[in-house]
Amino acid sequence: MLEARDITVRYGSRTVLDRVSLTVEPGAVLGLGGPSGCGKSTLARVMAMMLRPRSGSVAVDGRPVSRWRQRAPRELRTRVALIYQQPRLAVDPRLTLREIVAEPLAAAGTAAAGTAAAGTGTAGTGTAGTGTAGTGTAGTGTAGTADAERVAALAAEVGLTGDLLTRRPHEVSDGQLQRACVARALILSPGYLICDEMTTMLDASTQAHLVRVVNAYRERTGAGVLAISHDAVLLGRWADGVAELGQGGKAAVSV
Amino acid sequence: MTSVALPQAGRRRRSLVFAVATLVVLGLAVLLVPPIVQLDERIVDLRSAGLPPSLSHPLGTDEVGRDVLLRSIYGLRVSFTVGMVASLVSITIGGLVGLVAGSVGGTVDRVLMRVLDGFNSIPHLLLGIFIVAMFSPSPVAVVVSVGVTHWTTTARIVRSEVLSLRSRPFIEAAISGGASRARVLRRHLLPHLFPHLILATVLMIPHAIWHETALSFLGLGLPPHMASLGNMISDGQRSLLTGDWWASLAPGLFIVLPTLAVALLANHLRDRLNPRRRSELSL
Amino acid sequence: MNRLTVENLSVSFRIPGAVVRAVSEASFTVRPGRCLALVGESGCGKSVLAHALLGLLPGNAEASGSAVLSQSGGGGDVELIGASERTLAGRVRGRAIGLIPQSPATHLTPVRTARAQMQEAVREMGRPPGTADELAEKFGLSPADLDKYPHELSGGMAQRVANAMALAGDPWLLLADEPTTGLDRDLVDRAMGALRALCDEGRAVLLITHDLRAAERVADDLAVMYASRIVELGPVREVLDRPRHPYSAGLVDAQPDRAFVPVPGMPPELTALPDGCAFAPRCGHRTDACDVRPARGGGDGRVACHHPLAVQDGVQEDAKEDSRA
Repeated sequence: MLEARDITVRYGSRTVLDRVSLTVEPGAVLGLGGPSGCGKSTLARVMAMMLRPRSGSVAVDGRPVSRWRQRAPRELRTRVALIYQQPRLAVDPRLTLREIVAEPLAAAGTAAAGTAAAGTGTAGTGTAGTGTAGTGTAGTGTAGTADAERVAALAAEVGLTGDLLTRRPHEVSDGQLQRACVARALILSPGYLICDEMTTMLDASTQAHLVRVVNAYRERTGAGVLAISHDAVLLGRWADGVAELGQGGKAAVSV
Repeated sequence: MTSVALPQAGRRRRSLVFAVATLVVLGLAVLLVPPIVQLDERIVDLRSAGLPPSLSHPLGTDEVGRDVLLRSIYGLRVSFTVGMVASLVSITIGGLVGLVAGSVGGTVDRVLMRVLDGFNSIPHLLLGIFIVAMFSPSPVAVVVSVGVTHWTTTARIVRSEVLSLRSRPFIEAAISGGASRARVLRRHLLPHLFPHLILATVLMIPHAIWHETALSFLGLGLPPHMASLGNMISDGQRSLLTGDWWASLAPGLFIVLPTLAVALLANHLRDRLNPRRRSELSL
Repeated sequence: MNRLTVENLSVSFRIPGAVVRAVSEASFTVRPGRCLALVGESGCGKSVLAHALLGLLPGNAEASGSAVLSQSGGGGDVELIGASERTLAGRVRGRAIGLIPQSPATHLTPVRTARAQMQEAVREMGRPPGTADELAEKFGLSPADLDKYPHELSGGMAQRVANAMALAGDPWLLLADEPTTGLDRDLVDRAMGALRALCDEGRAVLLITHDLRAAERVADDLAVMYASRIVELGPVREVLDRPRHPYSAGLVDAQPDRAFVPVPGMPPELTALPDGCAFAPRCGHRTDACDVRPARGGGDGRVACHHPLAVQDGVQEDAKEDSRA
């Protein structure tokens, strides 16, 4: 269970979240609706341990969260993956799509080995010299064949063909970029997935595809999903239950 | 039916060619002439004093008979070396301060910014003069002087860039994906800062040269016998009064031309280093 | 009679090592009192088309074809493609075609009040000074609202300000490029309602969006764009309820209140468009005939497909064998 209890967040004098509680059960999709500006994204970030609330508590599978952002223990914060509304802001514009998807694996590799993972170069498409030269690798080296396979498998599942993976964000469309973000979110097999308006900027077909990918992952692994959207029709079709967030507060869960 | 063409392509190519050509010519002159000619700068030849430009002295001679063209080349070499080293010192200090202030934040940031404000509140030249006065006039003193007074701009740029990057979702996404602070720095922040630093270095060089020139002009920079553009302009002042314009014009040109070339090159470099703009401009 | 006639408009970009064909031979007409919605997934070229009409393409773009703006009492026809900056700025932008931006909050200058910006727009367009207040009232903005700065305006209000500014020069054609981005359902409905009202009062609207439901709310005609081509164009209810092109059908079916099924596969890269039908690799009705690019035909020029779906006729299409390249 991913549990948030009595979360309060304030920005200066403005109360964005006022004692909000929410529980995401494994294997289920909980929808979260509400008007824009009511704090859904803020709650998403708190539950992903990326934002420290003024008060309240978050627990992941029974483990309470006491530290936030990079101070949160790695294995805890990687249990909850966050997919953002605007893919273009959520990726490093200097990396190729493959590097973006593989980034969490590389971060895990670095942490495990204690040194930068040895690996193949990342020269990509002839635009070398301005990319990641001299500042680290994507961890797709000798120890990473399993990693490379995982990247390839997830990329195929979200619909990114090989050629696309060598491109940089400004060379692909929003839909393709969001697919990469979904693959990135799933690559460490998180126990919980928070989709923060994941498909709002996408066309109907891409939306249907990505929701399928998320559902398939949920069925495979029993992960819990928090689907945030202001599209009531989408939530009605996708979610098992829907919670509504009012302005700064919260109304009851409804089905 | 009709086609829309690229208007700026010709212009930018011409400016790039001009910039590179100028820098190459000057660079070659600076590298090749001194070893070949082996000029002893302390030798003067009063019989040839104040000669206007001619075939044997393309830019004339100064008031003690030294060939202006040769001396200008030596002067550019000195000015450029001093400028480059000073610029690197400056960028390094500024880059570190900006990075620490931006990424650590809090009290450390506040303290560093107050220090920066302190440095900024003192006029460059005054501080520079003060530092040089503590040592005897020498290239090292000039380098220290320039380096210590110019780091603030870089620090500010780097700090603001770091602050803006830190709040972007992609940094948060990296942390959520398990990246440590060190990894975020190395893999996401520094590569973004790199182009800015290169650009800052390139732009700083002419600035450093000008600063050194100013110090030398005031007699506080390099020793008088060492050719430096600043010295020469200072010396050339006296010649102007007697109508010998070439002694001032040449060093002036030798400062302005590379500065202009560097600025044009920096423009082009900035476009090249930005991946999106590169696509748009078909670079 | 005002009209925008676009014929065989093509736009391509040169990038290092490739040519991006963003728009290929688009043809359509926009008339006053009607709204044409151009829908397609992100990256299909629809925004580029809008930019081409306003002469806002970047330096490495090449445009061919024709887009003729005919105006009654406006000094004759204007060919938008290749028009000089002077013509575009002086006669087209703001005066004939008004742009409703994607994100009003970022479109407005943050350091000036809404009123100041509206008045500036009105001044630039050479309209009488009172126009700003008239427009504000028309869009339900009170004088107090106008004195706010953009960051103080709610999403809905910022949109109304942007709409009002777009009308500063009294253009007959409004171009709305993805105006629903970042808005929740209520605001989308309201925004589409406002656009519909503009149509009803005699203006024309060209709406660019990926949101089928928004298009449904406001449009009279729907054009479906796929991989730089317009593959279907017809009355909105016709296209949504009885789509003729397999891609249109797929898109409609992908909605959460329908089958919620994605169209399998991915669109081709705009740098590597096939010679034949661009949708063929993903199409269940593909035959050898599809190696030749279909033009928009079928009598009413509605659909570009060798095997358009005809719901009333049943399963005639399935009789042909599938053959893959």
